[in-house]
Amino acid sequence: MKILVTGANGFLGSALVERLLVHGEVDIRCFVRQETTSPRLAGWAERFPSANVEMFRGDLTSRRDVENALVDVGVVYHLAAAMKGSAADMFLDTVVGSKNLLEGLRSKRSTRVILVSTFGAYGASGLPSGALIDETTPLESCPDRRDLYSHTKLRQELLFREYHDNYGFPLVVLRPGPIYGPGGRAMSTRVGIPLFGLFLYMGRNNALPLTYVDNCAEAIVIAGRKGGNEGEAYNVVDDDAPTAKEFFRLYRQHVEKIRYFALPYRATQVLSTLIERYNRHSKGQLPAILTPYKSAYLWKGNTFDNGKLKGIGWKQIVSTEEGLMRFFSYLRDTRDGRIH
Amino acid sequence: MELKVAIVGCGKIADGHVEEIQKIGTARLVAVCDRELLMAEQLAVRYHIRSHYDDFEQMLDVERPDVVHITTPPESHLALAMTALNAGCHIFVEKPLATNHEDAQKLVGAVEASDKKLTIGYTYRFDPPALAVREMIRKGFLGDIVHVESYYGYDLAGAYGKSLLGSPTHWVHCLPGKLFQNNIDHMLEKIVEYLPDDFPTVRALGYRREHASYGDIRDDLLDELRVMILGKATSAYATFCSHARPVGQFARIYGSKNTAHIDYVSRTVTFDSSPKFPSALGRVFPPFAQSWQLFREGSRNVLRFAKSEFHFFSGLNRLIVLFYESIIRDVQPPVPYRDILRVSRMTDEIIGQVFEPGSVQRK
Repeated sequence: MKILVTGANGFLGSALVERLLVHGEVDIRCFVRQETTSPRLAGWAERFPSANVEMFRGDLTSRRDVENALVDVGVVYHLAAAMKGSAADMFLDTVVGSKNLLEGLRSKRSTRVILVSTFGAYGASGLPSGALIDETTPLESCPDRRDLYSHTKLRQELLFREYHDNYGFPLVVLRPGPIYGPGGRAMSTRVGIPLFGLFLYMGRNNALPLTYVDNCAEAIVIAGRKGGNEGEAYNVVDDDAPTAKEFFRLYRQHVEKIRYFALPYRATQVLSTLIERYNRHSKGQLPAILTPYKSAYLWKGNTFDNGKLKGIGWKQIVSTEEGLMRFFSYLRDTRDGRIH
Repeated sequence: MELKVAIVGCGKIADGHVEEIQKIGTARLVAVCDRELLMAEQLAVRYHIRSHYDDFEQMLDVERPDVVHITTPPESHLALAMTALNAGCHIFVEKPLATNHEDAQKLVGAVEASDKKLTIGYTYRFDPPALAVREMIRKGFLGDIVHVESYYGYDLAGAYGKSLLGSPTHWVHCLPGKLFQNNIDHMLEKIVEYLPDDFPTVRALGYRREHASYGDIRDDLLDELRVMILGKATSAYATFCSHARPVGQFARIYGSKNTAHIDYVSRTVTFDSSPKFPSALGRVFPPFAQSWQLFREGSRNVLRFAKSEFHFFSGLNRLIVLFYESIIRDVQPPVPYRDILRVSRMTDEIIGQVFEPGSVQRK
């Protein structure tokens, strides 16, 4: 059965294709952007000679490209999403692109769809400190008060659920926490944010729902290949994930000694309130990069659970200790993805 | 009187319109529309706008707006503007007004034949430094305008540039003048204000500086443009530049008495005057005079910032305020229709010269 992977050349997408091949899949179509080069393709062809990994170059905002990409496809892993950009571009790429895919799937009701959503889709701001976030936690009800990435990804997931309810194709959703590994960004905002050459370190003792890129890809494959879990959602978080404090200490120890300013949660909330008030008072002269709502979501001190994912047979393939060392080694050797 | 306002076209620039309309006490943004309902929805959700539509005529019918802002790609401007006009709306059209001069004339003609008003997104004219220079010219400080230089820097790695280079199906690639057509209104709007001629001589040279090859329609995109314009008493140079850094936006207005330099990015105005002292002394003092002017301008900007008057879209805000005032008070709109048409005519000439067979299109 042919598998379509959107966003296949991305950080997570290429790891996913690799894990699909390891699990014995032999017919994979990678939906990539027109100008994408495919340096990993030759490596896959050598290591998995019996597999057919095809590059399909197109644009998800083009209905015709999507229709063509879906020909003969039995399973879709949908990873493509905009990570940054203007609001309109992010909605266009992530949500309208998804709508095109879903329109193409209307006539293919047996096609199994695995959507990679995000942990950011949860509405955790109103939860008490220390609350556990699992798959029963309600999704965000005020997306306009969150960051654009979470807003677009939430709308994407809701759109998939609308089409799933209306047209009945099998749907499985995964919600990974921040994904790290070689090729990824140095620091989740859950640790802190860089500002004017200084790092505002706000994560402190918060647990980080990190997942190493290969572990996340493995989780997607396990959930995607398992039968009988249609309509389910799974959080993807590694075991033994470090606290922000541990992560930051290791980063400074192994990558770079960045200058930072530590803010406890109460001070963060005061600062967030001031920033939000100034933003309102000045009618948006400076952006509200922090608001009490966003800060509560990120740094209030939630805990996380991956029990449901383990229940379907997921096992962490790279230990957190090993994953962190690989990541820090990558950041040390290249300058890509570092904070400064 | 409170104006009911609606927007059609929910792409990137619509955010700017929404933010500025919502700051204005005399207007209420009631609805947004996009042919892709999800795009209209996202704008409505992010800015708490009451209604959103994917059917323009339905929006006009249900909401009955007084003013419609048209922020769609240019090829739809004429049809949407005519529909809005026929529905009894005043219209604010993003630049360019249309994809050619003939269509621009049609639209302006239709507006003039109605009792409605039209304006266009010539925002640089209403930025604080442009307003300051206009006042100095009115007082005669520059004397007669001899020459104007208009420089428009474009960032191909910015939000707009990335978006059009990221997709061969982006609408900019389908415009007759491609990237230039969508942007040189801003380059020319700064010139026509000071160039009185209806039919100046225009000589344009466009080319593509080295950048990635895509193997599709994106390779036809030209990204550098140089234009010389010659009127009876005033001349102008216009530059559209995608590769120089920093990405600048400025105009220099050479008068018979003094010369003004407007920097739209740092929002400063400085004047060059003839030396007041003889010989070497005349060369010693001007840098100090320039420094003092910049210090004064910087201090003014700090004050503007402190008073929350230093927004990115200050020019757009001022333009919208003036446009709405012109509607409420029934006076002339802020951008003369003659200027809009002269810009569209020059744009046609430039694009005709740059894209004609045999013109210089260096790779």
